[in-house]
Amino acid sequence: MTASAPQPQSPAAPARVLVALAGRQNAGKTSLLMHLTGSAQRPVNFAGSSVERCESSVRVGATELRAVDLPGIASLSAVSRDEEVALGYLRGEAGEVPDVLCAVVDAAKLSVELHLLDALVTLGRPIVVALNKNDVAEREGRPVDAARLSELLGMPVVETNALACRGIDALRQALVAAAGAPPAPALTDTPDALAQAALRPVPPSPRGLTDRLDAVLLHRVWGLPILALLVLGIFQAIFTGADPFMGLIEDGQGWLTGLVEDALEPGALRSFLVDGLIGGVGSIVIFLPQIVLLMTLVSLLEASGYMARAAFLLDRVLSRVGLNGRSFVPLVSSFACAVPGILSTRIIDNERDRIATIVVAPLMSCSARLPVYVVLIGAFFPVAWAGVVLFGIYLLGILTAALVAWALKLTVLRGGHSLLMMELPVYQRPSLKVVRAQVWGAARDFMVLAGTIIFGTAIVIWLLSYYPRPAEIHDRYEAQRTTLVAPQADDEAATAAHDQALAELDAAERAAYLEQSWLARGGKAIQPVFAPAGFDWRITVGILAAFPARELIVPTMGILYSLGDVDPGDYDVDSLEASAAGEGDGLRDKLRGAVHPDGTRVFSPLVALALMVFFALCSQCAATLGAIRRETRSWKWPTFTFVYMTAFAWLMAVLVYQVGSAAGLG
Amino acid sequence: MSDPNQTAQETTLERLAPGATGRVVRVQGDDVVAKRLTDLGLWPGTEVVVVRRAPFGDPTQYALRGFRLALRRDEAARVVVATPSAPAAAA
Repeated sequence: MTASAPQPQSPAAPARVLVALAGRQNAGKTSLLMHLTGSAQRPVNFAGSSVERCESSVRVGATELRAVDLPGIASLSAVSRDEEVALGYLRGEAGEVPDVLCAVVDAAKLSVELHLLDALVTLGRPIVVALNKNDVAEREGRPVDAARLSELLGMPVVETNALACRGIDALRQALVAAAGAPPAPALTDTPDALAQAALRPVPPSPRGLTDRLDAVLLHRVWGLPILALLVLGIFQAIFTGADPFMGLIEDGQGWLTGLVEDALEPGALRSFLVDGLIGGVGSIVIFLPQIVLLMTLVSLLEASGYMARAAFLLDRVLSRVGLNGRSFVPLVSSFACAVPGILSTRIIDNERDRIATIVVAPLMSCSARLPVYVVLIGAFFPVAWAGVVLFGIYLLGILTAALVAWALKLTVLRGGHSLLMMELPVYQRPSLKVVRAQVWGAARDFMVLAGTIIFGTAIVIWLLSYYPRPAEIHDRYEAQRTTLVAPQADDEAATAAHDQALAELDAAERAAYLEQSWLARGGKAIQPVFAPAGFDWRITVGILAAFPARELIVPTMGILYSLGDVDPGDYDVDSLEASAAGEGDGLRDKLRGAVHPDGTRVFSPLVALALMVFFALCSQCAATLGAIRRETRSWKWPTFTFVYMTAFAWLMAVLVYQVGSAAGLG
Repeated sequence: MSDPNQTAQETTLERLAPGATGRVVRVQGDDVVAKRLTDLGLWPGTEVVVVRRAPFGDPTQYALRGFRLALRRDEAARVVVATPSAPAAAA
């Protein structure tokens, strides 16, 4: 094909051509689409389902070529929901009928691909075959002769290589030329015979890279340790690699807060801007670096072909408890944040296993819970125990997830097929274009979903915690301020004492306002529910305030214990060591010193442990529930998740406190 | 590959040990599982090599038609395969 000569266009080149990319999983459709149209794809949900298709368009001469990427299919009889939707679209049930089908074919397994093509011709559309991955076939000693295949099939065959950008323009031209052509003819022979005839025999190559890598990565002994190391590496990257960026975001948030506080008098507007708006947006954006990092690593591993191996290694363990080898990625992701974890369950093609994975994913201790653990562990446990307690809390989430998934399998999600039947694709260099698009998609999904939901709940919680504002409190503290004797201008010690007294009054005033707010009234009203777990009304209010995002319990308790502003970002794992070194820490000291009206201490290590257990297991996250709603397309599963997690968290917290008290540990 | 004069023994795919080869005779049943196995390339005549088992003994990796497939034990049990029997038994 000569690139320089103008492509022959029929005199009446169609103005629009709609192409559907059809093919099996791993055939390379997504990557091909991205190169075919050269633009970032726009994912669109199919009506009434969470299944996404990607589409984008490109101009070819006078024609607008619109290409739609469908979920992978193996035949024309659907097994999964994804397939059902893809097939419905191919049959024109989505309201538009594709002009041309582009059958994306993996050259390395031609006979199986022709089996699918045999079914696709029954749809009665013109078909252009995109012969992908012929380089892999060549390495495996079975390259396909594209011209011969085209002759045998009676359809245009274009050799493509998305990674090397080869054959892309030829494919565009062929697709436009095929619009309006007669339907593709039926296959003239069996897939096996046709595939045999189209092969260009080459000397057999030595054992391929994929088999050599698999010998190590899937090794009976070494396979799992290698996987464990990879997961550790991912965690390390999430929790340390994202740190500088999270620091930057916090600094930006602090800078904005300072700006507003300088510009505005204290009042409802300033409180709304600082606590509601900046605080609300900040509590979402702070997770973005972790999510971007996590999704980059996960999609690199996915695109390289390793994730299917991880599923292979772990399928036995996970299927025992009613999950699936493919549940692994969503569950690991959920340690950073359950929202991208739940969104990534789409790779599980079995509906039952997918629901089970979604429902237990929030039990993985996400990074928003970490500040809560770190504050409490630092305040109430000796540093030698800190690591053990932290590990125990994470383990509690994992074991509970196993238990819940197993219980679901025996009850609500009983029956149905659990299938693995998974291809282990050839290892390949990931396409950076695809990885970038996936990371961008995940970040956008997170910001849109978490952004709207967390932001909305943050505003509601702010309203409930700010109002009412009785003048009586204002007057009382104003009166106390006037009793403070203004120091001499040159007396530094007196000035410092005066400033501190003022700051203490400010903090006490904030606490007084919060204590009679709607939120605190609600907390006090439901406090009896949490009394068996040893929680006082302030902890209960903290739990309510944490509903937009878990780490918000830290600043709320900061205010309730009259400390003024406390930044949950100050409580990373490293601060455990600082607290052990005896460095002063306001919130931890206040928590240790907090007393009930009768003078007994509010917090003991036992109450702290009960609170951590509650937080490890409860579903205090509006964004997670929103993600579950979106992915299951019903209110049933988010409601179920909220109820079972909250009930179980309460039960476990009560159990810890009651058993501990009975054993004299209180 | 197998000598046509040899008699073949029928068994199911999950019983083959790693390293063994079988030729698909049929896939049992006509439900989703059977359909999917056929779509994945396990139709009669297909040669399947057992590559390795996962660390916990399940699933198992197979090689067929130039690609690699992971099947659970109960999925592989649907596939009836013929294995060449020992030459002595054939005589």
